[in-house]
Amino acid sequence: MKKSNTEISFFLSLFVSILSVSSCAPDFDDFDQNSSGQSQVDFSKYIAVGNSLTAGFADGGLYLEGQQAAFPNIIAAQLKSVGGGEFMSPFFAEEQSNGSGYIRLKGFVNDLPVTENVTDKLAIRGMSPTQRPLYTKYTNEIQNLGVPGMRLDMAFVAGVGSVYGNSYFERLLTDDKTETETYFNFATTKGHTFFSFWLGNNDVLGYATNGAYHDPNDPTTALTEAGLFANLYTNFIEALTAGERKGVVATIPDVTVVPYFNTVTTARLEAGVSAATQGQFSKIYITTSNGVRMATDEDLFPLTFPADTLGKAVIFGNPATAGYGLIEQNPLHDKFVLDRDEVMEITTHIETLNNTIKSVAENKELALADAHDYLHLVKNGLTLSGIDISASYITGNVFSLDGIHLTPMGNAIMANLFIDAINLKYSTNIPRVDITKYRAVILP
Amino acid sequence: MSALYIQALTNNAMKRILFSILLAGPSLLFGQGSQVNTQGIKALGMSGAGSALFVDESSIFYNPGALSKMEGNAVSVGGSAVMYRSAFRETGSADTYHTKFQISPPFSLFTTFGPKESWWKAGLGVYTPFGGAVDWGTEWPGRYELNSLQLRAIYIQPTLSFKLTDQFSVGGGFVYNIGLVDLSRSLPVFFADGSPGQAQLSGTGTGMGFNLGAHYHLDNEVAISLSYRSKVVTKLKDGDAKFTVPTSVAASFPNTTFDAELPLPASFNLGISFPLSPKVDIAVDGTFIGYDVYKSLDFDYKDNTPVLQDTHQPKKYENAFSGKIGINYKTGDHLALRAGGGYVYTPVNGPYVSPETPDNNRIMGSAGFTYNISDKWDITGAYVFQRIQARTVTSATSGLRGAYKTNIHAPGLSLTYKW
Repeated sequence: MKKSNTEISFFLSLFVSILSVSSCAPDFDDFDQNSSGQSQVDFSKYIAVGNSLTAGFADGGLYLEGQQAAFPNIIAAQLKSVGGGEFMSPFFAEEQSNGSGYIRLKGFVNDLPVTENVTDKLAIRGMSPTQRPLYTKYTNEIQNLGVPGMRLDMAFVAGVGSVYGNSYFERLLTDDKTETETYFNFATTKGHTFFSFWLGNNDVLGYATNGAYHDPNDPTTALTEAGLFANLYTNFIEALTAGERKGVVATIPDVTVVPYFNTVTTARLEAGVSAATQGQFSKIYITTSNGVRMATDEDLFPLTFPADTLGKAVIFGNPATAGYGLIEQNPLHDKFVLDRDEVMEITTHIETLNNTIKSVAENKELALADAHDYLHLVKNGLTLSGIDISASYITGNVFSLDGIHLTPMGNAIMANLFIDAINLKYSTNIPRVDITKYRAVILP
Repeated sequence: MSALYIQALTNNAMKRILFSILLAGPSLLFGQGSQVNTQGIKALGMSGAGSALFVDESSIFYNPGALSKMEGNAVSVGGSAVMYRSAFRETGSADTYHTKFQISPPFSLFTTFGPKESWWKAGLGVYTPFGGAVDWGTEWPGRYELNSLQLRAIYIQPTLSFKLTDQFSVGGGFVYNIGLVDLSRSLPVFFADGSPGQAQLSGTGTGMGFNLGAHYHLDNEVAISLSYRSKVVTKLKDGDAKFTVPTSVAASFPNTTFDAELPLPASFNLGISFPLSPKVDIAVDGTFIGYDVYKSLDFDYKDNTPVLQDTHQPKKYENAFSGKIGINYKTGDHLALRAGGGYVYTPVNGPYVSPETPDNNRIMGSAGFTYNISDKWDITGAYVFQRIQARTVTSATSGLRGAYKTNIHAPGLSLTYKW
């Protein structure tokens, strides 16, 4: 009996010791990580050159939450583990956190979303001579150099940063520089070691969102010609890569992949017109460069299409004729529709510009984030981490309420596209980001 | 030259959009991952081997055929603390996420009735053959697949066993199952503070099945055990589905009820035991598990909306096999020590691995003891450790890419009273 007692106490103590050692959770030691060790790329000073997408513009405005979730800021956070340093951005102050103002979802009426403007806590310091808002200045050193509305053709023009020009660029310049500084000079003199470059979208999109109608009074509606684009693109990249510096460039997405152009469809408009007129009218007439015709499903309408003007007298036609857009005699103005020939023109032009971007990337040994191809995949629908993403307005989770710019989740997805491209090109080991940490469209 | 679109966008033009959010099928499973066989603490000490070796009240579970070979009667109560800890790392990420530490307590109660040294014996078993709890929380990359899951199947099994000869006996039991489930997952609809919505599904179901066995032994104590447990289809009826979503979409996510069916697989077990010496016995068990019943998981919601549709989620489980071996060492009259090991092949195909049971092939090792306190009282303890091997998968349903790894620790204790 005594012997057994010793045995059992020994056994019990063994039992207890097994219990205590083994309570630790499983871990991954060297799981799946690229074992190439230290990367050959110096990420210590990363700058992000680009337009509204780089700046974190979302929901039709630039505001603090969007700035913080901008894809370059997400990338910069991921770069920390591979030698990245501080990444400063021209954030709006907390008390002016709504920046330019933006739109938010107010609710649904008959299952249709209704938006409203956010107008408190703005960072508007006054109005320009042309009565456009000027924003609270931010002239400290920054690395997120994204300027909403910036175009490649305007990046080389002095005065774009003046009060007559781009308010978002003007905001970043000290008063003595606004008339003279070009965006090109601004972006290439920061002493960077690594860059991301995503310009060119607005060189096409400004034209496209104006219905492929170049308003002679508004240079943002011009289409940048391919030869000029190639020259300017090469010059910009030449300066950014001087001294063997590395970076990542991105292609221009197709206009057809954004909810801005694929939400208000011909079929939806026709259904609405039929319902509202008890079937008296059921077709939409549009103005194209080849004359007036009925709209087909290949013609694209903007998300902001003023549907309440349909059927009214006037607007752009014969003032005596009612039935705007519904009858052949009073068709929609060219700028409210991207007709199929214009879609073709723009798609082909984007392809040409993307070929320039790809060949420059290859010549300069830069990583290439192919946003053009990726957003085509998104358009067809993907499931990532249990979330259905697509180019659908609101429910697609990628695009914010303006139908063009990204949600925080869309920015995280874009950040992964850039990270994958950099890792692929330079055999680096930048960790990807968990997209489920980021929200899509906020619902009331 | 202002920023693009602002002017246009501040125009609150009517936007004619049909609003719909597809709710992917909530997944739910009584499966391999949750199957930790801790019904008999003696067998647990040998990693689940011993269906041929142990002829006692736990035979109600392992082999009803052996029950009538018990001389007297006994009642035993056992419990174990299953500690199931999984880790996940998304492909390309540097961050590892763990399930929260929690203990799920499977329990068992076995009791026998009948005359001593008779040709028959009756018994009742109440035990939890499937069950577990896994809590990944709301802050991990798989949050839109699963936040947490608790499930339990309680089997109640009245049993009868008969000796056909001194060596050969058969038995069978009727199984009534009560299944409990409680599951939550995040929904990709976002509140003003950016936090996502959540779905919570909970319910109770019942099912029926049976358990058959035959036991044969030779005078030299070589024994063979054959047993079969039928599948048990648990029907969940009128479970509660609750959705926490922003007000503007609340009508699309009505709090409603749901029906679902969960097939618990059949298994066929062959066990052999033989003595190495008067004090040492070896037991080997092989189990074939008919997991191919688990083809899909279908949810039928009572109130459907364009958003909340009935779901069909493929599972495509395959039949699986496990092999276990154990050694039992009688140190004297009072103490038996045991150890064992086993290997379990997973029924789950890579694309169908899900966070509620991030399954893969697993290895296990165990140790245990029984101490006879007196002629009437025994105490049995065991400890089993299982490692589910790391597995990198891309989920067919969610697209989530990453590697899972799981450790399971399960200490158990039972107390037996004999008369």
